[in-house]
Amino acid sequence: MLDAALEHLVRGIVDHPDEVQVDLITERRNRVLEVRVHPEDVGKVIGRGGRTARALRQVMSGVGGRDVRVEILD
Amino acid sequence: MSETTPAATSTVDSEEDQTELLISEGDLAADYLERLLDITDTDGDIDMDVRDGRAVVAIVGDHLKAFIGPRGATLDALQDLTRLAVAQQTGTRSRLMLDIGGHRAQRKEELIDLAQRTAEEVIASGETARLAPMNAFERKIVHDAISGYDELETESEGEDPGRRVVIFLRNA
Repeated sequence: MLDAALEHLVRGIVDHPDEVQVDLITERRNRVLEVRVHPEDVGKVIGRGGRTARALRQVMSGVGGRDVRVEILD
Repeated sequence: MSETTPAATSTVDSEEDQTELLISEGDLAADYLERLLDITDTDGDIDMDVRDGRAVVAIVGDHLKAFIGPRGATLDALQDLTRLAVAQQTGTRSRLMLDIGGHRAQRKEELIDLAQRTAEEVIASGETARLAPMNAFERKIVHDAISGYDELETESEGEDPGRRVVIFLRNA
């Protein structure tokens, strides 16, 4: 559910929605959501001053809990 | 009219276009948010409106705390993302306002109440009052609430996120 939610949120804000992939990795203390996007969309997902990445993290910890981490891979 | 400038013509056009744009902003935002509610199995209805030149979208329901967050932080984040999702479709920057579970509406009432209480104190004591830091939207609510008092003036001072409203006697 968390990966599908994040995938939806990211797909809506990028130029290449078909190339958005989110993997949920369960670690001992955290659940990590790894986000992969088209190279041209990395800047969009991070946003000016990291604002968009921060917003994605805020919403995902609201939905999933404080142990949820979001990592944007480039 | 031959003297009509292209700029004037486009102003008339843009007013109608503007309303249409705001309505479609609401629709696009509703689609984005509806899908999020579906995925997270959250009950909520979505209301759309156009107010003061902005699209206004509200998620209404009883169990929306997870989407509001501490002091509305998650709501603000979701508003940012919704604006980006809308702009992605329209190609125009969006100033859409999002409310969830009546949070902003309730906060607005609290701020008006605070502004009025502080106004009475400043009038009674003559002493300048500095309110807690607020975002631009909240400061505007306070400025507007105080504008009804002829004897008072307001200013904002400081830099975000520490920017705050100062209320003081006119000519004091």
